[in-house]
Amino acid sequence: MSLRVPDRLTVFCLAVGLATLGVVVALALTTPFPPLVPLVVFGALIVFAESRGVLLTPTLETTAGFMLMMASIVVFYDSNALLGPVIVALCGGINPAHIRERAWRKTIFNCGNYALAAFATALVYWSMPAWMLSSPGWLVLVAVLAGLAFFVVVVTLLSAVITLSSDDRFGQVFRELVIAHIQVFPFAVLGVFLGRLYLDIGAVIVPLFVAPILVAQETFASYLALKRSHDDTVRILIGALEAKDQYTAGHAERVAMFARYIGLELGLSAKRLERLRLAALMHDVGKLVVPNHLLNKPGKLTEAEFARVRLHENVSLEILTRIDFLAPVAPSALSEFTRFTPVADEKGQPIEPHIVAVADAFDAMTSTRSYRKALAQSTAFKELRENAGKQFHPRVVDALIVAIERRHEQYGAGHEVDVHDFAVEPPTVGLGSAGLGDLLDDSDAETPGVSAP
Amino acid sequence: MSTLTRALATAGVIVAGLVTVAIIAGLDSTAFTIAVLAAGLLVGELLELRPLERATVPLSYAVVLVLLRAASPVEFIAAIAAAELAASVLRPAPGLVVRGELFVQRMVAAALALGVYELVLMGDGSGGKALVLTALALAGIAELAVDETVFSVRSRRIDLSWHGRSAQLALVTSGMLMAVGYDGLEGRGGMGLWGPLFFSVPLLAAWYSFERLAAIRRTYTQTLRALSIVPELGGLVREGHAERVAALALSMGRDLGLEPRDLEYLEAASLLHHIGHVCLDDPSVLGRPVESSEVAQASAEMLRQAEFLAPAAELLSPDPHPFGGAERSWTSVSGQVLRVASAYDELSEGGQARLENGAIEALYSGPGYVYDPRVLASLERVLERRPVPAGVR
Repeated sequence: MSLRVPDRLTVFCLAVGLATLGVVVALALTTPFPPLVPLVVFGALIVFAESRGVLLTPTLETTAGFMLMMASIVVFYDSNALLGPVIVALCGGINPAHIRERAWRKTIFNCGNYALAAFATALVYWSMPAWMLSSPGWLVLVAVLAGLAFFVVVVTLLSAVITLSSDDRFGQVFRELVIAHIQVFPFAVLGVFLGRLYLDIGAVIVPLFVAPILVAQETFASYLALKRSHDDTVRILIGALEAKDQYTAGHAERVAMFARYIGLELGLSAKRLERLRLAALMHDVGKLVVPNHLLNKPGKLTEAEFARVRLHENVSLEILTRIDFLAPVAPSALSEFTRFTPVADEKGQPIEPHIVAVADAFDAMTSTRSYRKALAQSTAFKELRENAGKQFHPRVVDALIVAIERRHEQYGAGHEVDVHDFAVEPPTVGLGSAGLGDLLDDSDAETPGVSAP
Repeated sequence: MSTLTRALATAGVIVAGLVTVAIIAGLDSTAFTIAVLAAGLLVGELLELRPLERATVPLSYAVVLVLLRAASPVEFIAAIAAAELAASVLRPAPGLVVRGELFVQRMVAAALALGVYELVLMGDGSGGKALVLTALALAGIAELAVDETVFSVRSRRIDLSWHGRSAQLALVTSGMLMAVGYDGLEGRGGMGLWGPLFFSVPLLAAWYSFERLAAIRRTYTQTLRALSIVPELGGLVREGHAERVAALALSMGRDLGLEPRDLEYLEAASLLHHIGHVCLDDPSVLGRPVESSEVAQASAEMLRQAEFLAPAAELLSPDPHPFGGAERSWTSVSGQVLRVASAYDELSEGGQARLENGAIEALYSGPGYVYDPRVLASLERVLERRPVPAGVR
């Protein structure tokens, strides 16, 4: 029997919901009802905490709610060790935004996921010997074990639901979620200690605990918002650039994409990948000061025009240098500087400019420019390989080719995204340097005697 | 000293100090507890919460609250003096004077916190729940008040509003939580040093978020400034025009009492008010003269594409109520400020002193455009306050 994707999802979510209902009913019939005050305090707080996380990355979103759930396990330990945390966790699945959207499947799954995980966690905590719970040192171990139960249930159920709603394989999703949720362990310890303080001191402790966490979340949200504004600002520039030069539509974004492929292949850190992305996006920003008619000139450029266009690299360099974050990779803007020289000591030199140079050259070859039509991908690879170690950094060239072949992606002639209207049909041969036209032979130059800088 | 050397040196000082105390006095002694807290102070002294619009506050202020609960007044002062001395040596500060000033500032803050705490509890640390929490909260606020006073004196600005106080809120609540985690309230709930250790995690999370925010803020400002020089590099405007106009417009905006948020938009719009020039058909200086309204429109068109900069774009649109309109919105005031600042920079050829007076007169008579006299008056006030550049006049 095979079901369509939405049906399989519905069945799975309903199954999770039914299992949860079973647990709750069984616990409610066999144990007394938990005390009302902590139930209301923690239930309300967890709804609040979970609904505030809309802006944040999914990993950060859950921490405040998870800690409150851990705390409730400790708080209900003496009254109703299992049902209390399960009810609190049920509340944690309720997100007002989801309810407004009538996303019932999501709500049922989230409630069930949290409640079942809370049940497993509380069971682990409850089964620990009493002497372990009385010393802070052993309590850390207990918290980690209990956190492990939560971790396993949540990651397994989430992987299942993601696998059902996408084409990804379970194992891969599971691995990614394990990494994304690894931070539950320190927060499990925190939650347990919060619960202990609540028992000893009372509800007054909760605002002291929640306030700094909310400040952290809000600040992180402002960080993400400002990061978006920064991206917007960079994008304005790219938009202006592409408005000036119709042949480079999407060029900056594609160079950033190829640069990311190479960066991932070479194992760069997240910070360096981000730096690489911005440098790749902005490597041509100096073209803003080049007159439009030169950028769009069909065919070849005279030597004087070529020099004028080349000046843009210095402008790009100047701009990148002024941004501290990008200054270390500012030579990305210079095609001459990034020319690979086997003799030069490459140690200590950032590899990012070489990455941008290769990504730039590859995109230039595989897209149509005013001076030449797009080349085939195989031709571009061949050209890169031939110049590896001469013009291009060999490791970077290998990384790009491996990355593209592994992804089974095709660029170049026949696979172009942008189709242009040509005033003058560009020639079909000639490689051309990245982003620049070929130099005219001196013999047919219009303005002889002008020297390049 | 590089960051790594400094971190290693700090770790070395901390480990050596703790081991010495543990050997001499034993792990269960009060001396060891105080030594651990002093080490926490030292670490907290080197990590600071950097909110965007308020004074930076060191995380050590939270540890001070724990120390109030853990130590007698004499031990308190001794531990803080030791930790602050070590911090003065290890912190990345330029020069002895700055280190000395900071040391004094921290000692005053700690002494004030101790005074407030003892005053509220009247020397009885085992008071009731509400009393102890009040004492801790007031002690934390007293520390922050010292920093805020110093900040206000230095920046000549007093801002008593609630705006931008989230870092301070996180610091005081975390400090109280860590203190309560240490020895509980009314004799219940104390966890010893485990308490402050674990309950510093929310504060550290806040610290991390503030660090990321400050870093992206810096990059963002630098990107705006870097982009502002594009028209200059293309030879389209006088060198430094955008930078000077932004500085002048900001001074005028402050003089006119604009809100921080509006000042931000004013700065962005001032920096980028010529950026649209590069998109006009042929931005060559050899081409036909480009109308300034055309440039402004092209710039506004570009800025409007970025969500965050859209309000700044409005400043570049033509003023819907030129001089004489009854009610002025912040957009028209800010727009006027930007126009006056830019026109002044053009007329005075980059703010040269010998042209200043003539430039202001020319603005008052306003060829083709009448500027708001209140904004012009503000320009005059700002210029008067400015130091005269050396070598001119």
